[in-house]
Amino acid sequence: MNRLAGFLLSTSVVVVLFGPPLYAAWAALIAIVAAWILDPPALRAGLRVGAVLAIVFAASITAAVVAWSAGPQRGIELGGMVLLRLLVLTVAAAVLVRSVNAETLLRMTEKIGMERLGLVLGLALNSLPRLAEAAADVWTASRVRSDGTFARLRRLPGVGEVLLAHTARIAEEAAAAASLRGHSALTRSANVLRTPVRVVVVTGPSNSGKTEAVTAVADRLQSAGAHVVGFVQPGEFLEGKKVGFRLRDLATGEEVLLASLGERGDGDFGTRFQFSAEGFRLGGDALSRTVPDSVVIIDELGPIELRGQGHMPAVQRALAVADLGGAMIVVRRSLVPSLLAELDASDAVVVDVGDLGEGSVDVIVNAFNG
Amino acid sequence: MKDVRPWTYAALFGTLWGAIEATLGTAVHLGQLPLRGTIMGLAGLLCLVCLRRLQPRAGVCLLAGVVAIFLKIFTLGGLYPGPIIGIGIQALALEIALTGTGGRAIGAAIGGFVALATNPLQKLVTMWVVTGTEAVRSYLRLLQESAAAVGLEGLNPTVIVTAIATTTGAVGAAGGLWAWWVAGRVMRRLGKRT
Repeated sequence: MNRLAGFLLSTSVVVVLFGPPLYAAWAALIAIVAAWILDPPALRAGLRVGAVLAIVFAASITAAVVAWSAGPQRGIELGGMVLLRLLVLTVAAAVLVRSVNAETLLRMTEKIGMERLGLVLGLALNSLPRLAEAAADVWTASRVRSDGTFARLRRLPGVGEVLLAHTARIAEEAAAAASLRGHSALTRSANVLRTPVRVVVVTGPSNSGKTEAVTAVADRLQSAGAHVVGFVQPGEFLEGKKVGFRLRDLATGEEVLLASLGERGDGDFGTRFQFSAEGFRLGGDALSRTVPDSVVIIDELGPIELRGQGHMPAVQRALAVADLGGAMIVVRRSLVPSLLAELDASDAVVVDVGDLGEGSVDVIVNAFNG
Repeated sequence: MKDVRPWTYAALFGTLWGAIEATLGTAVHLGQLPLRGTIMGLAGLLCLVCLRRLQPRAGVCLLAGVVAIFLKIFTLGGLYPGPIIGIGIQALALEIALTGTGGRAIGAAIGGFVALATNPLQKLVTMWVVTGTEAVRSYLRLLQESAAAVGLEGLNPTVIVTAIATTTGAVGAAGGLWAWWVAGRVMRRLGKRT
């Protein structure tokens, strides 16, 4: 369904740009429906009041100029056409923006043999927040030092100069990191997970039963007397769609809401979800119980953690505990290469539950026991 | 391993340019500020000339342009062709001019001239993609009538567009030299030889 919607959205862009007006009207309708199927919050974010007003403004100007030049009828026709084109382009951009991250980019550029370009674009995406932070600091410093708007304007070239110097320094740091840890470091932060034990990486497609399998493994290990710590993150569903996650502490059974869909599509960490501090706190508490011989279970590590945020600091602390009994980490399929690159473990085994069905619990336990 | 600094510098300066386009660029365009194309062109010149002086390697300006286009696309409304064409032309102009002159100040001036002189033409192309031929003709007629209203009767639209392009090009050449000077100050700030 999503593939069909994606195809329809792309086709609508082409039709609205190059097709006749009647087709363009249909294309706009189809584009909106396709965007609604693909990502409703993106559609809402794309068609916010400011954007719609700007589109209407641009279309009205065109309609007025053409009406003055070629008559009211043509003005209305062309104004309508511009309205449809801008509408479809805005909707398509809104959906596109929310579906791409550094990992996706890397995969796409690898496919066309331009991995280095993917690394550069990944670095660009990852460095954007840091650059924004630097810009905000520079601007604040300038405001503090300047008295009044005129003085602030006079300082503007100096602000630009400092910002450019900051940018160069961040580029130097990124280059140093890449020299130390290989080119792949261009898209990754220093989140190396060092652990001297065997790590079982559990993966599989969405809704393939990864959490259920890991929970069953945890129960089995606990029954066998193992000290199991960590958490699982079961999804919350509404009418078949994932609307959030809960976080369950495996040792105590305590459960809280970790994430829920942002109301206007504006989630945290560049995702569709808004995360709760309480959820991260419980995750941290669950992992803080790690002692020698513990079996650490983490369901799951996502792009947020692989960027060094979310649960990552607590995970790093837990895996650094000496003489662990073992570790089990759940990740989605697309993130397995990134996780393996970050993982500095003595041994790692990947189990894909998507291929195993009901036998996945036994396979994970066997992989765990080596 | 080869020096990766040209890559990281291009990525970071491209990011800065893309971020400026996505924030300031969107604001000045939505606010319909006069000379918005020139303002954004000067911001781009500053990023590109500074990048090229800090990393004097062929190709860095083009790569920064690709990064800026990528970031511009990934902001809402970024699929509009105007800014994408503008960023691409500017990066290409600076790359050719600076590579052709061996990375000298004159290259920044030439690149700045070409980058900003093509601004009005790029606007026409964008207008044509979004609104079609008839609307472009209407806008050109409006331009002609406006020129006549200020006493410049009988000028054909090509002459008017060329005059505007030359003026903005001259601003671009001056902007290129200014960017060269600012880049020198940035280099001194970073303790590099100018």
